[in-house]
Parts: sequence; C-alpha cells; structure tokens
Amino acid sequence: MRRFKHFDASSLDEAVSLLARFEGRAKVIAGGTDIVGTLKDSVLPEPYEALVNIKTIPGLEGIRNGAGVLKIGALTRLEDIAHNETVQTKYAALAQAARVVATPHIREMGTIAGNICQNTRCWYYRCAHNRFHCVRKGHAAPGQSLECFASDGDNRYHSIFGDVKDCLAVNPSDTIPALIALGATLKTTKRSIAVKDIFPPSDEPTKMTIIDSDEIVIEVEIPEPQASSRSAYHKVAIRKSIDFPIVNCAAVVDFEGDVVKDCHICLNAVHYKPYVPERAEALLEGEPLTDEQAATAGEAAVWGAKPLPMNSYKITMAKGLVKKILIACREAG
Amino acid sequence: MRILRFTVNGDLVEIGANDSETLLEALRDRLGLTGTKRGCDLGACGACTVLLDGRPILSCLLPVWRVQGRVVTTIEGLAEGPKLHLLQEAFHMAGAVQCGFCTPGMILSAKAYLDTNLNPAQGDIREALAGNLCRCTGYVKVVEAVKLAATWMRDTTEREAAR
Repeated sequence: MRRFKHFDASSLDEAVSLLARFEGRAKVIAGGTDIVGTLKDSVLPEPYEALVNIKTIPGLEGIRNGAGVLKIGALTRLEDIAHNETVQTKYAALAQAARVVATPHIREMGTIAGNICQNTRCWYYRCAHNRFHCVRKGHAAPGQSLECFASDGDNRYHSIFGDVKDCLAVNPSDTIPALIALGATLKTTKRSIAVKDIFPPSDEPTKMTIIDSDEIVIEVEIPEPQASSRSAYHKVAIRKSIDFPIVNCAAVVDFEGDVVKDCHICLNAVHYKPYVPERAEALLEGEPLTDEQAATAGEAAVWGAKPLPMNSYKITMAKGLVKKILIACREAG
Repeated sequence: MRILRFTVNGDLVEIGANDSETLLEALRDRLGLTGTKRGCDLGACGACTVLLDGRPILSCLLPVWRVQGRVVTTIEGLAEGPKLHLLQEAFHMAGAVQCGFCTPGMILSAKAYLDTNLNPAQGDIREALAGNLCRCTGYVKVVEAVKLAATWMRDTTEREAAR
C-alpha cells in the first residue's frame, strides 16, 4: 500500500482545516471500506497523501427520531440502520437497502455517509496499479488522450443511459436510491442539500458528488413519510452477499385507497448518477396501481435508455425491477 | 513510526506502527498473531476477520491507528490454555474444517453472532457468515458446527444460571 499520513481529528473544525491544508490531496476516512481498497490497489494516478479520521469526532453517530424527521448521524454504521426498529417500520426501503450492502463485516464498518459518497466500482477504473488510466481519472500526460476503456471493452455492468464526457461508470450505492425516494437531505459542514442534488452536472465525470474535498457530511435527514405511504427496495446482484448491484431500485408510494396519490422511484447502477424515472412516476399518479400499470411504469422507467453492446440485459432487469418494487409497495400495506 | 496502545486477547500491547499500516499487518507481522489470515486483502473474503470491541470487522481494511485504546480479539484469544472454545470444539467435531484458511474468520464471525443470539435459525447463521468465503467445505458442515456450538453454549449458560 502506498504510504499516507493518518490524522485523528477531534472536531469538525480540525478535520476541515486538515483537509483544506492538503488542498485535495487528503481524504476523509470513516469506515474505510472503500478508500483503503483504493489506496491498497494504487488505483489513482496521484494517491492521497493523508487520511483524516473523523470517527474520533464525537456526536456524529446515531439515529434520532424527532418532530417529523429522522436524523441519522453521518458515522452511523449500516448494520445499525438495517436493524433500527424505526427505520424498519417507517423507512422500510432504507432498512432493506442497508441490510443488503456487501457483507455483515462491511456493514459493521461502513457508514451511511460513506455509502452515499463512495467511489465508482468500474473495473477499468479500479484495476490495480492504475493500469487503465481512463477519462474519469483525468490528468492526461502530454500527448496522451484519455478514453473510457469500457466503451470498447467489457461493459456488461456499465451505464444504460449513455456516457458523461465519455465515462460509462455507474454509481454503485445501495442506500442512495432509498434516500432519494424518501426525499432525504444531507447536512454538511458547508450546506444543507437534497441527496438527489449532490451529483455533479454531466460535464464533471471525475467526481462522484459535488461535495468538496474539504467538506464533511454531518447528518442525513429524512422527512417522516405519510402514514398512508409504503416503501420498498430491491437489489439485483450476482451473489446475495458481497456483490455490488447490477441494478437496484427503491420506491415510495403514497396511496389513497388503491389509487396512487404520490410516487417516488429511484434506480441506481444504471447511470453515472442515480436515475429518477420521472415518466414512470407521472403515469402512476392518480391511477390505481394494478400489475399492468406497474409493468407500464417499468417500460416508461427505461425510456430513452441507450444500451452498450454487452448490457441490454440491464434494461430488461430495470423494467422488471421497477414493476416488482411497485407491487411490493402495494402489497406492503 | 508512532507508538500505539491497544488490547489484544486480554493483553495490553504497545507497538510502533506506520501511519499506513493495517491492523492485519500489525497483528501478523508485529505481534506474530498469524491466526488472522490474509486472503483477498481487499475486504471481500472475510479471512482476516477479527473482533473489535466484540463486533466482527475486516482487519485488512482497518488502518491500525483506528484501534488505539480499543479491544481486539483474534482467533488466538478464544481458547483458554489447552481448552478450546466451544465453537472451536464444534468446528472440530462437525468436520467443518478442510484446509482451514477461512476457519479463524468463520469462528470469530460466528462468535460475534452467538454472543447476541444463542438460538439461531439456519438462515440467521448463514447470514452471519455471509462475509466469510470458503472454497472447500460448501458451508454445510460450517453451519452445522455453529448450530452445535450454540446448543453447547446454551447448555453451559443454563448450567451456570442454575448454579
């Protein structure tokens, strides 16, 4: 593993000033399950010089249920979220998502903020010793042009909604679709921002989120869903344990009798950022949620998809998944 | 290099470690506790599982500075002298060990789970061990061993309670 300095921050101020001092060459570490792997494999052309441990900062962990809003501290471990009774009953999609992240060990270490801010798993990008210096990594040597190796390579797990600046990598987070469908907001050291808005515009392919290098997530806030709403999440992966999603999906549906009053759906691992199928949401609202209607929503959800040579199966999967999740929401009541 | 203190298997230890060292490297290379195995070294196989304050974690992904002042249990800390832990005994009895490389991680994951629930269903055991890969046994004997250990540990707890 490449050498780095390790700092234990005792306060957010100290952590922020350490991060600022390294001007982007230092990274926050909490659970460490993503960043340590990147450093061990020497994935990046310019590895981080320092890690700033924020686990030593008090008050960033725990789940608090208050006036109409659930507050989850940034350092709350995924295992604790998956087994929290309030989350399981009122925010079912999030509990279901947290419960299927990687393995029990990773969930004991990994935090909610880390799961939101994690890096991509594109196998060209993550290949050890920077063997594929791709467009996502930037910093072309003089005379070198950067490319996306997935576009002509093995792209079975890549984007079905096209590239951003030639990069075809997808966001692999399990919890993000649930958080977006539930309307969650992130509180950071700089701002308060909806989870759906933390992703960069399509001209910045090297960044997973717009969170700055000296900005730290403090808390995730989720408004309490309507009593008449139900949520569900499902992930398709090769193995039940360990694997990242091929496609995953969460939905929150608010019912008035059989009729859909309001509906939020979010797919992930299909595009560089989570994908909200607005067409599908729109056609569901004001109509009874029949099996046929759920299937039509599945079709609408993948409208405009542009499969790569090896991943058109993901379109079929996404369609079926949206249908399945909508029916799961209906049956959950 | 800086000096770091933590508890391993009941002993307070003090080691010099580099900033970029993992707990796995410190345990194996500085403390000679080679029962903790280096498998994939990337957090996917579970061979490096140890208990940190009683919870199962992957020592290959944990910078060693994160254990400052905390309590680590490795496979070497389970037996009491020549007397094996009931889980170790059960793995032996059930034939749950073949090459043995995954066994320390399996046993520690199982211990963390049984410490919270001594009446596990088959599915609970499989889920608790979902982060430990084994390429020999096919897992059937491993799950049987954990069930057997749970029975023995329940009996022991009941006997102690009756005393």
